[in-house]
Amino acid sequence: MTRYVMVADLRRCVGCQTCTAACKEGNGTPPGVQWRRVLDLETGTYPNVNRVFVPVGCQHCAHPPCLEVCPSTATRQRADGIVTVDYSLCIGCSYCIMACPYDARSLVGGEAGFAFGQQPTEAEAARAEGKSLGVATKCTFCAGRIDAGTARGLVPGQDPEATPLCVNNCISGALSFGDIEDAFGPVASLLAENKSFRMHQSEGTEPGFYYIWDKGTL
Amino acid sequence: MNRSLASPHQRNWDLRAAGNFVFGGTGAGLIVTAALAAASGAPFRPALAIGLLSVMLGLSLVWLEIGKPWRALNVFFHPHTSWMTRESIVAGALIPVGLIAVALASPAAVLAAALPACGFLFCQAHILRAARGIPAWRQKEIVPFVLATGLAEGSGIYLLAGEQTLPWLALALFAGLLREGAWLAYRAGLAGTPGSARSLGIFDTPAGRLARGAQLVALVVIALAALLEGFPGISLLLACTGGALAALAGWGLKALLITRAAFTRPVAVPVIPVRGSGGDPLRR
Amino acid sequence: MAAADTVKEVPSFCYNCVAGPDLMTVRVENGVATRIDPCHAAETIHPGLGRVCVKAFGLVQKTYNPHRVLTPMKRTNPRKGRGEDPGFVPISWDEALDSVVARLNDIRARGLLDEAGLPRVAATFGHGGTPQSYMGSFPAFLAAWGPIDYSFGSGQGVKCTHSEHLYGEFWHRGFTVCADTVHTRYIISCGFNGEVSGGVCAVRRHADARIRGVKRVQVEPHLSATGACSAEWLPIRPKTDPAFLLSLVHTILFEHPRSALDLPFLRDRTASPYLVGPDGYYLRDADSGTPLVWDEASGAPVPFDTDGVRPILEGRAIVAEAMTRGPDEERRPYHNVEARTAFTAMADAVSGYTPEWAAKICDIPAETIRRIAREYLDAACVGETIEIDGETLPFRPVAVTLGKTVNNGWGAYECCWARTMLATLVGALEVPGGTLGTTVRINRPHENRLMSVKPGEDGFMNANFNPTGRNSWLSKPGGRNAHRTLVPIVGNGPWAQALGPTHLAWMFAKDAPKEWPQPPLPEIWFAFRTNPAISFWNTAELSQAMARMPFIVAFAYTHDETNHMADILLPDATDLESTQLIRIGGTKFVEQHWEHSGVALRAPAIPPRGEARDFTWISTELARRAGLLERYNAALNKGAAWAPLKGEGYDFSLATDEVHDVDTIWNAVCKAATAELSSGAEVRDLDWFKQHGHYVVPFKREDWYLYPTMVRLGLRFELPYQERLLRTGEELGRRLHEHDIHWWDSQLDEYVAIPQWHDVPERWAQSVRDQGGDPDDYPLWGITTKSMQYTTGNNAGIPLMNEVAGNMRGHGAVIMNAATAARLGIKAGDRVEVRSHLSVTTGRAEPVQGCRPDTVVLPGQWDHWKTPYAKDLAFPSLNTVIPMSLPLTDATGSGSDVVRVSVRKAGAR
Repeated sequence: MTRYVMVADLRRCVGCQTCTAACKEGNGTPPGVQWRRVLDLETGTYPNVNRVFVPVGCQHCAHPPCLEVCPSTATRQRADGIVTVDYSLCIGCSYCIMACPYDARSLVGGEAGFAFGQQPTEAEAARAEGKSLGVATKCTFCAGRIDAGTARGLVPGQDPEATPLCVNNCISGALSFGDIEDAFGPVASLLAENKSFRMHQSEGTEPGFYYIWDKGTL
Repeated sequence: MNRSLASPHQRNWDLRAAGNFVFGGTGAGLIVTAALAAASGAPFRPALAIGLLSVMLGLSLVWLEIGKPWRALNVFFHPHTSWMTRESIVAGALIPVGLIAVALASPAAVLAAALPACGFLFCQAHILRAARGIPAWRQKEIVPFVLATGLAEGSGIYLLAGEQTLPWLALALFAGLLREGAWLAYRAGLAGTPGSARSLGIFDTPAGRLARGAQLVALVVIALAALLEGFPGISLLLACTGGALAALAGWGLKALLITRAAFTRPVAVPVIPVRGSGGDPLRR
Repeated sequence: MAAADTVKEVPSFCYNCVAGPDLMTVRVENGVATRIDPCHAAETIHPGLGRVCVKAFGLVQKTYNPHRVLTPMKRTNPRKGRGEDPGFVPISWDEALDSVVARLNDIRARGLLDEAGLPRVAATFGHGGTPQSYMGSFPAFLAAWGPIDYSFGSGQGVKCTHSEHLYGEFWHRGFTVCADTVHTRYIISCGFNGEVSGGVCAVRRHADARIRGVKRVQVEPHLSATGACSAEWLPIRPKTDPAFLLSLVHTILFEHPRSALDLPFLRDRTASPYLVGPDGYYLRDADSGTPLVWDEASGAPVPFDTDGVRPILEGRAIVAEAMTRGPDEERRPYHNVEARTAFTAMADAVSGYTPEWAAKICDIPAETIRRIAREYLDAACVGETIEIDGETLPFRPVAVTLGKTVNNGWGAYECCWARTMLATLVGALEVPGGTLGTTVRINRPHENRLMSVKPGEDGFMNANFNPTGRNSWLSKPGGRNAHRTLVPIVGNGPWAQALGPTHLAWMFAKDAPKEWPQPPLPEIWFAFRTNPAISFWNTAELSQAMARMPFIVAFAYTHDETNHMADILLPDATDLESTQLIRIGGTKFVEQHWEHSGVALRAPAIPPRGEARDFTWISTELARRAGLLERYNAALNKGAAWAPLKGEGYDFSLATDEVHDVDTIWNAVCKAATAELSSGAEVRDLDWFKQHGHYVVPFKREDWYLYPTMVRLGLRFELPYQERLLRTGEELGRRLHEHDIHWWDSQLDEYVAIPQWHDVPERWAQSVRDQGGDPDDYPLWGITTKSMQYTTGNNAGIPLMNEVAGNMRGHGAVIMNAATAARLGIKAGDRVEVRSHLSVTTGRAEPVQGCRPDTVVLPGQWDHWKTPYAKDLAFPSLNTVIPMSLPLTDATGSGSDVVRVSVRKAGAR
């Protein structure tokens, strides 16, 4: 079995938003929609303060609440763990958005604007996907790249052509991607050698998104 | 150690979506009340008609909200787990049966409609309960509250659309007290959930206080109407006022609950990442 | 998404900030540039694995920005000013170029210099020399033209690490200075915000270092992203870093044994043993003039370069016969004079800087200062070695880095000295793990800082100071900022003028000080990739000075605050549309030290939009029309476009009497550059580069470090004692006073042999008093910080950058301490006024915990009132409220982004 997961090393992330920008540009998401973004969290009280940068997005849960609530079956889960949205089925009810504990989904109506107003630039026009308007959208783990890459025998997370854009472009090396079931793969090794957590595990979602915070094992 | 950031409101369900819970809940409650009326020989036809119209109005409002209204029938595709599908299916049963009941003025048909009406209300409660991204909805006490308020709103409206006699005043009072209990339980549950302060705060805003005030006034006024049954004119006025307030109070609370109190789940980072050796220069 | 019919990937680079260049690929679908990708082919040669930072992702929107100026334009309203509509109308390239050339030819006929001896043509280019990587062959045109005044700055000197540029290069050829992050274990970072402005290489290396276990202590008033990613944050009071660093030097010298220091390094590689006389100058051998040291074996003073000498490092002694060399070659003989070593002089100088003393100034506990000093020494690994490229080098994995506002303006000299001394004390200067320079700009060659080191006087490397002698001092400036007259250390290289006090040119355009003739404005001013009207200080007044410029030629991307005053707008092809070959790798700015060096091509991904033209075409046309074609081509042949076209074993020279098209020029440059890099073994043409993008050869890691060169040449670092600066300052003072110039006197105070603390923050309070204000009315410190999305990227008009920057705390806001905000009745999101004695700026308040209670932070530069999109953002800008001030200008001609401010809710009384 294959299960693709994302790993964010919080020790590395500097909050630069390169992943955010690369995702937006690569996936042609409209203004305001960010499938991948990095949160800038501050905790503590002056002068004992911490800031933590946390990449977030769809966690591709093993038990996705979005899938459970989706009335149209537009949200599905692939055998490799990737949670998808079939734009041709989705009715745009936003229920999945309410169900996602990770605030990972977006929906923009048909009136979505463009970077510079109501008219798309040529680049936006080349990217524009009418079918993604009025429906729920989210990070796909760049499933199209994974499928095209694996079809050519490439390994997601190792060969850039088969790897999500956010990972390819992450400048600090915070983001890693791969098949967690590959016991000798880089993602499994990374998680074996470092302490990590997953977010909102109490919800039983079994997210496919791990956050490393220190070396060693718990 | 739980470190989190103030989370934003949900950005996708506005008053149109709230309208489904407002009018759908009231409608379902009214249909249930109409069924009780039919069973007891009281007038039920106007109440049933209004209830049905109310449910349909709520669903229409949702239809106006969704991104792909012309694909709305896809809503039926996922009954296995989706409470929204289930709500739609139940509504699909409720509306024709209810229309037949209105057309035939048949008490049996009204009783038949009451069942899906209960189901509709149940589904609505669980739609919210299953929304794991919104802690204020995720609260388990939201289910009895949605059920109780639907009944309180429906029985309240029945005082305007049906009879204002003692049994119906008693029903409205009972449903109102039920809702009051459910509301207190919901608030207590929410107060015990970390990170819910902002949601609770919304119910303490002027709008929240107004809705709560309306609910309490409704209870008092309905009780007075019952006590003053011997003075039909006054009792009628009080009953209608109390019934309307009971409905308005529920609408207000639900509108706040769906829109302004619906904060998304805060990000939780249980540990601070170790950036460098954190105090031991030679650790490596 | 419909599958693209044709997809191509075009090699390019991003050099939008000085921390580049980095390599990238532009994806083009059906003729439309759609996205930026990494250059995966460079993964093994680029320290950042062939990736570019977030700024590069703005380039697609930048290219298709509907607000672009896409035809040449001319001004129709002769009146200039912010309130005037320029009345720009489109014109043809012929008309635009001819009107520029008519002016140029008129100037040439009358003389290239005006009656004051200043160039009639001036030019300003933006940040850190990066515009040169986008101006094609324009340097050849400039070379063909002749003298040009580069003194009108766009923030140089006040927005850069200016003191580090000058002193760092003076001490260790470190125009920019960094930690050897690849090897280091402990970094004291005073405000160095490398996670934001250090570029891809720095971010990757520091992330790796964190995983390795480096400890970085971030010392800064506001918890930046770099502070966030550090092991410890010390919220220091603004502009008190010199006290903190001097106290660390004190602690190391007075609270730790000498065995903690790298004594051989101090003895053999520094001026520590040199004997200092009572007048503050080195005691010298009376015959040879060579500085003396006290020889341990003979118990006598001997010239430092005596064979077999074992100099003592510290102490005092009586020297029977010696002389000193003071200012203006004054030789002062001494007999039986008490001398102390330079090391002892340093110890004496810092003896009072105890941690308790510093704690009161810096607001950092004394015990913390002691602990930092102890940790620094513990991590320094004195005595250890490491093998690099087969050579055994000292291993000293400790470093001190300085941020921008620490590193310019008053107090910066002290910080630079203390930082470099901290490295020197443990032998961590220019060795693996230590504090390194990465590039040179005052000395040459720029491509190899090691080769810029030549033996100079007194056992030190050479320095190219501007003359201060009686007959050699340039009393009549050759540029409008008088850089060679006022700032000896800035030298006379091609970068010197832009490193001088560039705000002086703007200030003098309005009011020249007493005894200083007001310089006439240039008759033509070229501006490219620069917007001083928002990026400098007191922007309102600066814009008024700009409006008085008689003829401005702006290479225009969109309308902006600077080209609003222009007479001609020329639309150049931007990043994704133009052709240029640049150098990559080796050691460059910030943390760009690679294990390869070479060249990279920016190939056009799409044709220029509208009537925009490749800069090389524009340059060639200007040269042709101005009758400068032969000189222009000759300049190209000499290497004005990055590589000499003729070298040993190859000759790709261009015929000087012909007009060459863009591809012909860059084809020659590509061939020449590869021939040079491969010593003639390989020649790659333009077509090859369009396929492969870059060409590199190995660059030895050993060459990241200057230490081996110093050993090979037998040279010493000119530390801890600055005799040369002392002498230069005294001479400069004499020259100025001889000309009755006294307005530079406080700057002369900075020329001391060993820096001493003075009340640096008080200068800002005094500045308020000087303007008739009361400092108590401005109780907070206003400072600024950068964000990666915007720093130096010309991205203010790019919506994508604003969107993603919005995820970061404080973007477009006034960051302030939450308790301070509460005290002032300010809530998150309130609009607040930040007011200095000069002006006021308004913005949204963002209360945070990670900021000192006495400090507010206004990120970025947001003074836009013309730039489309940016002008509607209503962000606050510190530039609006900082005065351009001579008293706040230090001896190097730089100032700090600091101002005393008050904050209140907008509209509140």
